[in-house]
Amino acid sequence: MSSLSNMAKKQRGKTRTGYFLKTGDVEKPTKAFALTLESSDDEAPEEVTFEDSKAQALRSLKRALDSAKREKELLKEKRRKKQELFQEQKKRKLLPVEVLEEIDSPPSEKHKQSEDGAEEEAEDRTTSVKLPNVRIFKGNYTVRAATEQTAAAAFQRQAAEDFIQSRLYGPGSCRGTNNELLSIQNKNGGKKSAAVQFVKKGWACEKKAKAEKMNKRWIHKQQIPSS
Amino acid sequence: MGEFKVHRIRFFNHMPSAIRVMAFNSHTERLVVARADGAVEIFNFADNYYQEKVIPGRDGKAVEALCWVGRRLFSAGLDGEITEYDLENLRPRNSMEAYGGPIWTISSNSQGTLLAAGCEDGTVKMFEVLEDRIQFQRNLSRQKGRIISLSWHPTGSQIAAGMLDMIKIFDAETGHATHRLLVERGLQRTSNSQEVVVWSVAFLSDHTIISGDSAGKVQIWDGITGTLVRTHLLTKWDVLVLAVSPDESSVIAGTSEGTVVQFQFISSTVDQQDKQWVRTRTFKSHSHDVRALVHTDTAVVSGGVDTQLVVRPLLDKVEKNTQESAMRKIIFPHRNLVSCAKKAGLLLFQFSDHLELWRLGESDGNGKPGDRLPVKRNPEKLIQLKRKGEDNICCSALSPCGGWLAYATVSSVRLYRLQLDNNISINKVSKLPKELNSVHQLSFSSDSSKLFASSILSSVIVASVKELECKYLHTFKPPSDSRQPVHLLSPSEDGNWLATANTGGEIHVFDVHKLKLHCSVPVCGSCPTAVSIHPFSCSLVSVHADQQIFEFSLKQKEFTAWSRKLQKQGMHPLWLQRDAPITRVTFNPNNPTHILLHDTSMFCIVDQILPLPEEKTRFYNQSVLQSLSLGERLRNSHAFKVYRNFQNLLCVDLMEDHSLVVVERPLLDIVSQLPAPVQQKKFAT
Repeated sequence: MSSLSNMAKKQRGKTRTGYFLKTGDVEKPTKAFALTLESSDDEAPEEVTFEDSKAQALRSLKRALDSAKREKELLKEKRRKKQELFQEQKKRKLLPVEVLEEIDSPPSEKHKQSEDGAEEEAEDRTTSVKLPNVRIFKGNYTVRAATEQTAAAAFQRQAAEDFIQSRLYGPGSCRGTNNELLSIQNKNGGKKSAAVQFVKKGWACEKKAKAEKMNKRWIHKQQIPSS
Repeated sequence: MGEFKVHRIRFFNHMPSAIRVMAFNSHTERLVVARADGAVEIFNFADNYYQEKVIPGRDGKAVEALCWVGRRLFSAGLDGEITEYDLENLRPRNSMEAYGGPIWTISSNSQGTLLAAGCEDGTVKMFEVLEDRIQFQRNLSRQKGRIISLSWHPTGSQIAAGMLDMIKIFDAETGHATHRLLVERGLQRTSNSQEVVVWSVAFLSDHTIISGDSAGKVQIWDGITGTLVRTHLLTKWDVLVLAVSPDESSVIAGTSEGTVVQFQFISSTVDQQDKQWVRTRTFKSHSHDVRALVHTDTAVVSGGVDTQLVVRPLLDKVEKNTQESAMRKIIFPHRNLVSCAKKAGLLLFQFSDHLELWRLGESDGNGKPGDRLPVKRNPEKLIQLKRKGEDNICCSALSPCGGWLAYATVSSVRLYRLQLDNNISINKVSKLPKELNSVHQLSFSSDSSKLFASSILSSVIVASVKELECKYLHTFKPPSDSRQPVHLLSPSEDGNWLATANTGGEIHVFDVHKLKLHCSVPVCGSCPTAVSIHPFSCSLVSVHADQQIFEFSLKQKEFTAWSRKLQKQGMHPLWLQRDAPITRVTFNPNNPTHILLHDTSMFCIVDQILPLPEEKTRFYNQSVLQSLSLGERLRNSHAFKVYRNFQNLLCVDLMEDHSLVVVERPLLDIVSQLPAPVQQKKFAT
């Protein structure tokens, strides 16, 4: 019981002090306000001695210098921290030591292990594929400098593939769809049946789903103005 | 017939690749087919069109041209390389950069000494064919624009080259162009300004040049004067390919419409004086573009975007109403793409670039025969494993316990340990024995402790697998000096034997415990398409490309009495007329006299107790038998019980719980994924 009441008292005390503190805080500006009010009255300005003002000026100067110094230091500290962070990040980006070692070790050795028994031709082929300036990165990417030759070859190849594609399936090639073909077969065949998209349920699932969605949206739109 | 619970599976989305080009070797009667994914397949036309060998492709390897030089096979493609294949070890032997950009066509002269390659940069490059390689010899005079097609004059003195808007004739000696034949642009197409592409040319020995072009014309030119003789307009689309018969009396042209049109060199009147090229027949056996054609002595072989290989015998060259006169369509590969883990109820599907592991569904219902049972648990895809590297997968295997998975590409083998209890995990076995580097076929022993792999020089490698470790044990060498690749591996159920078959037709049985050869089965003329060892009677059942079935006892080392009886009586004609080879032989442990066989259009249970069918008896009699009474049924039944309700089968296998797994691939699903066909207006549709 007693402890409880004590606690309550304490709490009350705390709150009280808090209150007082707060009021104290608030009091200052009001006082200052009062002073200014008072000073605004026809009282002469206070007398300040030369020493006093000098000391005050010096003090303020010192304070300003101090603050500038502190600011500088803070800035330095900030920069240092940033630097440290960068370094750490760099370290994190670097590969683990084992991986680095693995990269350092000559690639031909590893290659031989895996393809030792293979015939000579195969080895020739694979080694020729592996260019000297290949670097292995984290993950499954290998990056190598594209030589002029391969880039040109790739371009030529792409051009050749595009040529076939455009000639056989490009504009003006009058291509239909498999759906039409099969539907005509269904219609002409000995066993007559409907177009294939109706016979086969799995046909064009995405399109059907999309149509369903659009239908729902349309119905929804129709209902909104009526209600 | 026996009752089974059947898992009817249609979720194996096997998609065959489009046929791009073909070449026929008339000496060995081998047809080579290159597909769009770079795979090269060899069919033996002397042995019932059996697909003997498959060399898997590679990423970025698009074969545009194939050429036989004697028994050697060369290919070239848009990667700008000429590749020679090693047909014994099923891999590219060597590749050579032609330094002319993408290669559109290669062609060898009839002597087999020179290879000409038509390149993107407008050069025709001549290569000398040496013993072990090819060597660049020289360029013919360079042209503006790509060389699309090439054809040698049979004497080897001239070459015709099809280009954009023109055909050039080169003198092979000097390398200079002697004639320029301008090809007219099409009137049919809307854009008249587009150049016409001469997709194919043929140079005949009487100096006639025949060309097929993108304006849909087949044109006949006089190669001596360089003048146009005749134009045949075939189609609104492209004439993509031409082929000439060996005796040069007939030419066939394949079009984008999927038709093949035949032209014959005949006289229009009775007197034999003025012969000319006349359009005679039209075959429509494809729904999509015909990209590849071969004209053999007796048949038209065509293939194209719809992925089917069609062999259509010419009825004036073969006897009518025989097996030779029947049209053949080869849609599915003649090897297994599905492996079953019999004990674990798992299926492994092999695609060219990935593997899929599925767990079979379950059903607790019981029903009458023919009923559909409700599915309690749906089949689920457990793992999808993408292959490493650029090479396509050539074979794969799943161990019967479901704990191991292996696959091989041309360059490497990978082995994985699977754990599928609660949380699925897959671990790669990192260190494989270095003997496992060039593998054509993989198989696990029935207790999943050994891995068998067929390797170079017709050898078979045995390795033990245990706890993330794979150790080399032994190499089985063939007793003969055959170097043909082993294409079938069949370990016995009891773990004692391993049967191997190679494309030379040899079947060997090895003792797995003593690690030595047990016996060899006498070689018959036809290549085995499926072999398997009976779990109880220790006899080897082999089925061959000519549809013959043999049973060879491993204890007595001779053919069994049943097999002799079958050979003496002969197979039923209807059995021999089937066009697809049997690709799997399995046995029913409940019923040791039953042999299960399947091809793409049926599965069959051969009952060794029942009498063999006579030539006169009704062969496909299952539906008739069902309507008969029990006594009648027993009297009328024969040994071959054929069930044809499942179509386009890729796999039929019996699991350990006596349920039957049937993997179907409906053709409609394949057609729906093909590229667009041409738009044809049909009257009244």
